[in-house]
Amino acid sequence: MSLTGDAALLPVAVVAPITGAVLAPVLGRLSGRLALACSLVAMAVSALVLVSVAGTTYGGRVVVEHIGNWRPVHGTQLGVTFAADPFGLTFALLAAVIGAVLLLFTASELGDLGGRELGGFASLMQLLLAALIASGLTADILNLFVWFEVAALASYGLTAFFLERPIALEAAFKTMVLTNMAAFYVFVAIAVTYAGHGALNVGQVRAALGADPRSADLVALGLVVAGFGTKAGLVPFHGWLPDAHTAAPGPVSALFSGLMVNLGVLGIARFVTVTHALHRGQVMVLLTVVGGLSAVVGALMALVQDDLKRLLAYDTVSQMGVLVAALGVGTPESLTGMVYQLVNHALFKTLLFLCAGAIVHATGMTRLSEMGGLARHRPLVTVAFVVGVAAISGVPPMNGYVSLGLIHHAVETGHPVLLVALTLAQVVTVAALARATYLAFFRRRDDDYDRIEKPSVGMVVSFAVLAGGCVAFGALPGLVLDHLARPAASSLTAGGAYARAVLHYGGRLPLPEATFVYLDPMQLLVIGGTILPGLLLAARVVRHPGPRLMRPLQALHTGGVNDYATYAVLGAVVCVFGLVLT
Amino acid sequence: MILVNYVVAAVVFSLGVYTILTRRNLLKIVMGLSLMESAGYVLLISMAYRRGSTAPVLLKPPPGETERSLARGNVADPVLQNIALTAVVIGVAVTAVLLTTVVRVAQHYRSLDADDVRGLRG
Repeated sequence: MSLTGDAALLPVAVVAPITGAVLAPVLGRLSGRLALACSLVAMAVSALVLVSVAGTTYGGRVVVEHIGNWRPVHGTQLGVTFAADPFGLTFALLAAVIGAVLLLFTASELGDLGGRELGGFASLMQLLLAALIASGLTADILNLFVWFEVAALASYGLTAFFLERPIALEAAFKTMVLTNMAAFYVFVAIAVTYAGHGALNVGQVRAALGADPRSADLVALGLVVAGFGTKAGLVPFHGWLPDAHTAAPGPVSALFSGLMVNLGVLGIARFVTVTHALHRGQVMVLLTVVGGLSAVVGALMALVQDDLKRLLAYDTVSQMGVLVAALGVGTPESLTGMVYQLVNHALFKTLLFLCAGAIVHATGMTRLSEMGGLARHRPLVTVAFVVGVAAISGVPPMNGYVSLGLIHHAVETGHPVLLVALTLAQVVTVAALARATYLAFFRRRDDDYDRIEKPSVGMVVSFAVLAGGCVAFGALPGLVLDHLARPAASSLTAGGAYARAVLHYGGRLPLPEATFVYLDPMQLLVIGGTILPGLLLAARVVRHPGPRLMRPLQALHTGGVNDYATYAVLGAVVCVFGLVLT
Repeated sequence: MILVNYVVAAVVFSLGVYTILTRRNLLKIVMGLSLMESAGYVLLISMAYRRGSTAPVLLKPPPGETERSLARGNVADPVLQNIALTAVVIGVAVTAVLLTTVVRVAQHYRSLDADDVRGLRG
C-alpha cells in the first residue's frame, strides 16, 4: 500500500525532539545558543514529518504505523500503534510549530543564561513537546498514559526551573502532588479497562466494550475525566495551574497554557468519543457541568488577579472549561467549534503569555498595579497583546469570533443552563482582559521606568507568527473549517470509524456538517452583547478593586496543598459516583 | 480473585489519601503519594491473578505442564504485571523529583510545614 511509506516515518516526529532533548545538554556545554539551534532543527524535522502525512490525514484517511511491525492479528493488537488521525495530527502539529516558536522566543528572552542552564531548559522543553506530539499520535491507551507521565515529569522540571525563587519550588510541589494523583487515576482507569476487556489498543477497546457498560467501565471513565481534567486544569482540579504559570518563565507558561493543558482535553476526548463512546449520556452531562463550572470560576478568578501571568492562567482554566463543555454538548457543530477553539486558544494564549514574558523581560515587573503606560514605551508588545485580547473576546475578524460563534450556536438549542454559564464566563473574560490591558498599557504612569530593554528579533518574529495566525484563522473561516476544523472534528464525531481504521488500515472518516455565516446579525449582536457589559464591568473593577462578592471564592483558593488536594479528591469522587450511580 | 488483596489495596489507598489531605508535613505528603501508588501496584497484581494460576514464565514449566499448555492455560496476566512494573519505575522517578523539591523547600523556607509554603494564593 502506498500509505505505508509515509506512515513508517511517523515515529520520527517523536524521536527527533527526544534526540534533541538528549543532545541539548551536551551541546549546552559548548554554547547555549548551539543547544537552542539544535532544538529548533529537531522541532523542524518533527513538523516536516507531520506535514508530510497531513495531506492524506486531512483528506479523511488515518495513517497507521504499527511500531516494530507488530501487526494486529484477527483484531488483536499486542504492540503499540501510532495513528495520525486529523484531530491527533492537529494537536501534534500545533505542538511542533508553536514549540519551535517558543524555542525561538527563549533564545531572545533567556539567551543570556549560562550554557548549562539553556541546555537543560531546551532539553526539558523538547521532552514535553515530544510527549505532546506522541500523545496526539498514539492509538494505545497505556502508551497515552506513558506520554502523560513524560509530559508531567518534564513539566515539573520546567516549573521549578528557577530554583532560587521560592515560589517556583512551592508551585512545583503543588503541581507534583496534584498531577501525581491525576496520573494515578488514569493509571488505575487503564488497568481496570485492560483487566475487564484484555485490550489496550483503542480500536480493540472500542470493539470489546460492547453496548452494555459494566460499572467497572464507568469507574474507569470517571477516573479518566478526573485524571485528564487535572491536566486540563478544570475546576475543582485546577489548584496547581495558576501557581505553576505564575512561577515559570514566560515561554514555559506559554507552553503550559497553549499546549500542555490541551493534553487533558485530548485525553478526555479520546476516551469519551473513541473508546467508551457507547455510554455517552451521563458522561456528556458530567462534562458540561465540569466545563461550565470551570468556565465561570476561571473567568471570575481572572477578574481579580493582580499578577498578569496569574490572570492569564485563570483565563486558561476558563477557556479549558469552554472546550470541555463544547465536548460535552457533543453535536457535530459543537465539536467542530471545540477543535477550532482549541487551535485558536493555543495561538492567542501563547501570544498573550509571550507578551507577559516580554514585559517581565523589559521591566522586571509582574504586577499590574506596578505597570502602566506601557503603550508608549512598548508599542509592539501593546499591539500583540491587544490582538490576543481581541481574539479571546471574539472581536471580528479575529479567530475567536468564529470558534465562539460555532460553540454558541451549538449550545443555543437544548442547553439553556450551559448557555447562561458560557455567556456569563465570556462577559467576565472580556472584563478581566480589558482590565489587564488598561492597567498595564493605557493607564497613566507618572514616574518613568528604571530600565526598559529593547525587544529582540526573536520576540518580534514570534509575535508576528502568532498574531498573524490569530488574524488568518479568523479571516479565512471557510478555508479553516473545510481543511482543518471539520476534518479534525471527524475523528471525534466518527470515533468508531477512527477506531476501526487503527486496526484495519484506513477507512474514510466522514466529515461532520458545520457551517458558519460570517456576518450573521444575530452572531454580531451576541458578540456585542458580551463585549459591552464586559467593558462596563472592567471599568467598575478598575475603579473599585477587590469586589466584595468575590471574597468567598478567593478565600477558597487558600494556596494550601492539602486544600487543593481535597478539592481534587472530592471532584474525583463526584466524577466516579456520578457516572456509576446515575 | 483473592478478596484480601483488594481489601489491602483499598485500605492502603485510603491511608495514602488520608495522609495527603490531612498532614501538613511535606515529607508525609510525599509518603502519602507513595502509599497511593503502592495501592495501585497491589490492585494490578491482584487483577492479574486467575484462580489457581502460576507465574507467567514459560521456561522450565512445573511438573505435569508443558510450555504450550502454560501459554494456553492458567497463568497470571503478564501484561498487568508489566504495567505494574512500568508504574514502579515511574513512581521511583517521581518520588525522587518530589523529594528533591522537598529538600530545596526545606533549604529555602527552613520549614516543612505546608502552611508556611503558601505564598501563592487567591
